[in-house]
Amino acid sequence: MTKNNESRTDEYHVASFVAYPIFEQLTEVQKAITRVDGTEIHATSAEGKIVFTIEGHSYKDIGNKMDTIRNHKGVINLSPVYHQILDESTDSENN
Amino acid sequence: MINRREFIKANAIAAAAAVAGVSVPSLASNLITSSDITKLKWDKAPCRFCGTGCSVNVGVMDGKVVATHGDIKSPVNKGLNCVKGYFLSKIMYGKDRLTQPLLRMTNGKYDKQGEFAPVSWDKAFDVMAEKAKATLNKSGPEAVGMFGSGQWTVQEGYAAVKLMKAGFRTNNIDPNARHCMASAVGGFMRTFGIDEPMGCYDDLEAADAFVLWGSNMAEMHPILWTRLTDRRLSAPHVKVAVLSTFEHRSFDLADNGMVFTPQTDLAILNFIANYIIQTDRVNKDFVNKHTNFRLGETDIGYGLRPEHPLEQVAKNNGKTAGSSTEIDFDTYAKFVSTYTAEYTAKLSGVPVHKLEALAELYADPKIKVTSFWTMGFNQHTRGVWANNLAYNIHLLTGKISTPGNSPFSLTGQPSACGTAREVGTFSHRLPADLVVTNPKHRATAEKIWNLPSGTVPAKPGYHAALQNRMLKDGKLNFYWVQCNNNMQAAANINEEAYPGYRNPENFIVVSDPYPTVTAQAADLILPTAMWVEKEGVYGNAERRTQSWYQMVEAPTGAKSDLWQLVEFSKRFKVEDVWPEELIAKKPDVRGKTLFDVLYKDASVGNFSLDEIPKDRLNHESRDFGFYIQKGLFEEYASFGRGHGHDLAPYDRYHQERGLRWPVVNGKETQWRFKEGSDPYVKPGSGWDFYGHKDGRAIIFALPYEPPAESPDDEYDLWLSTGRVLEHWHSGSMTQRVPELYKSMPDALVYMHPDDAKARNMRRGDLVKLISRRGEVQTRVETRGRNKPPIGLVYMPWFDASRLVNKVTLDATDPLSKQTDYKKCAIKIVKV
Repeated sequence: MTKNNESRTDEYHVASFVAYPIFEQLTEVQKAITRVDGTEIHATSAEGKIVFTIEGHSYKDIGNKMDTIRNHKGVINLSPVYHQILDESTDSENN
Repeated sequence: MINRREFIKANAIAAAAAVAGVSVPSLASNLITSSDITKLKWDKAPCRFCGTGCSVNVGVMDGKVVATHGDIKSPVNKGLNCVKGYFLSKIMYGKDRLTQPLLRMTNGKYDKQGEFAPVSWDKAFDVMAEKAKATLNKSGPEAVGMFGSGQWTVQEGYAAVKLMKAGFRTNNIDPNARHCMASAVGGFMRTFGIDEPMGCYDDLEAADAFVLWGSNMAEMHPILWTRLTDRRLSAPHVKVAVLSTFEHRSFDLADNGMVFTPQTDLAILNFIANYIIQTDRVNKDFVNKHTNFRLGETDIGYGLRPEHPLEQVAKNNGKTAGSSTEIDFDTYAKFVSTYTAEYTAKLSGVPVHKLEALAELYADPKIKVTSFWTMGFNQHTRGVWANNLAYNIHLLTGKISTPGNSPFSLTGQPSACGTAREVGTFSHRLPADLVVTNPKHRATAEKIWNLPSGTVPAKPGYHAALQNRMLKDGKLNFYWVQCNNNMQAAANINEEAYPGYRNPENFIVVSDPYPTVTAQAADLILPTAMWVEKEGVYGNAERRTQSWYQMVEAPTGAKSDLWQLVEFSKRFKVEDVWPEELIAKKPDVRGKTLFDVLYKDASVGNFSLDEIPKDRLNHESRDFGFYIQKGLFEEYASFGRGHGHDLAPYDRYHQERGLRWPVVNGKETQWRFKEGSDPYVKPGSGWDFYGHKDGRAIIFALPYEPPAESPDDEYDLWLSTGRVLEHWHSGSMTQRVPELYKSMPDALVYMHPDDAKARNMRRGDLVKLISRRGEVQTRVETRGRNKPPIGLVYMPWFDASRLVNKVTLDATDPLSKQTDYKKCAIKIVKV
């Protein structure tokens, strides 16, 4: 089993998701998402689909947060959409 | 001016908002396509995991994949990813990626008992060619074999078929797709005379009811499950029925969840047919015009070794196992009449009211119903029958080939359809549904390949399970495994596979990006390039053919399967492999290599490097001197054009998010066999099942027959194996993605709390699963996503450290030769 180095802090990760909650539990699921550090809800559709992002510093960090939300009993389905990594170790432009 | 973090976050939000169909006002709509700030180069590729065939956008920077997102332009996934696809970019960057060929050696020389040591590609091919030639000289082509994959690209599968069937003149080539959908192929060929689903994913938005037969879509086909969930939640009348031998994640959405006793799905299918007839809901007009009835052979055995007691007592396990006789509707109706609700409920353990609610979904003419199935049907000693029986109920009601009415066999691998089935990498097949036993089909292949008559052997080769048995028996001596992990995937590895690989008479080559258990059981390991490190084509479960360009260089030393196959062919002169009488029929091949005859001088070599865009990588073509991926595709496509398997010109696939074949006059086909949507249907016929000469599909009378092994006093539990969401099959790629490993690190045995209690076991206890064949150690899980009924346990097979296939039985469907991984008898004891 390979263990990659996951503790790097000079990476910025952002990932976006669509969550499909049981409609009756929409508010509860929204609350559960915002309770997770680094998350932000950007929109919720009329059918209850929640668009949100997770920001973090490693794949592992994002993965852990995603698992927390995915395992919520009100979530029928959680679809990751986008993931990008910014290597900020040699970057003087970022702030 | 927004900063880089804000910019990529805005991209992420825009992508997800587009997927959910909502607008986020603050975002500029063109952000997603702009790459100025991040300097990413984006390109499309099909995901390299399951058979759904999602398209992903791959972002490359400085020669490395650093971003992926679901392709919003893809009609398959519409911008979504699943958790495996989400981590796709990481599969290439495991720390133990292989970059040098490794040969077992002692004192610098090949030695089967030696330790792996790095060698050059030249040395690797020298030893390999020497072993292949020695085998050919000593025992002939039948001692040479190859095990491939539904993860090969179309071009790789085609190059392999040509090398084995025409070059080495052996049909001993089979894909791991044999473990996956051989029964589905058998079902299609028997009922319709032509392979692959008639419907498409658009059925997901058109159906009023979904029935999952032995398919845990929530975990195995998550994107299709998302579309199904969307349909269910946005249209309240939609119903979902889920059948399985244990409760799993897909039951969360089920209106009617049914746990049945293993093997009794056959009875349930016949009950539904009986219910449709008894309640007078047969679509008589459709049945009269478009179907025939036949009675199939029974008591066909279990595909075990001939000396096995079960084969000794089976009456019809020989060549006639797949035969049938013509009957009429009344005879069929009488045949299924024994499958009453009460009889079926007793046999299956599913209550009568649930069975009737299920049957009503099919019987009610107003309900458009789509049936999905995967391994529950296919990995079944009566897998072809199960497929046939599912088609029966769609045919009796005419619910087929129209939007939402769809019997839909899903596949497990990214190109199980495109490569394994369409290219014909099976031991009995040739491209485009042709078979080696038919002299006309062989002649077609020899003509397209410009090879003398008699090149392709007529006898089917060894299929997957038989290859392991023949390795063990010393009849298959030179063996090349590409793109799969069969030492982990095959059933009964203790008694068959491992002794076969380590048999001193055999030389085993394994090509893989990672040191899998199969690689470690080999004599020579070849480091392999993967996915966007090469150009290729995959074909998904809805007949969609998708291509991609090479986007990054492979790690130095790793070479694609295609390069390996074609480069190896240079080591053989025609005289090394063909008898003089065959060469005499075509003297101009004299002195040439297999590389010349099969690839460069064949139509494969017709396309020049100028056709590859200048800014594109293409390691193989630039090395061989011609656009080999295009040449292989175009030659392969010539088998199916004009025969119902039409593919578009190769270049078009680089522009499209895939096209569903047959592609006729530039147009793809959504629903086959239906007038108006399929150009092959005869005008005025309505439906035309043109795979059979009379245009009719066959409704088969086939009974319930018991499984090969059932629990008894000593081995008192059913064992079912399967997959999990986080891992792709044997886990050789996904186990190297730390997030996926962490969320599902070890294969546990899932059991009912009462079964655990009765054995004095608790959650987390270390236990042994023991069968008549072997044992495996793991820990007990009584909670979680899989909830088996009393009497059945479930253990996934992705975990290389706990090989459940040491325990499973290598019983196969005698018709499809596919192994039944879903049922055998075991006992569990505390360690």
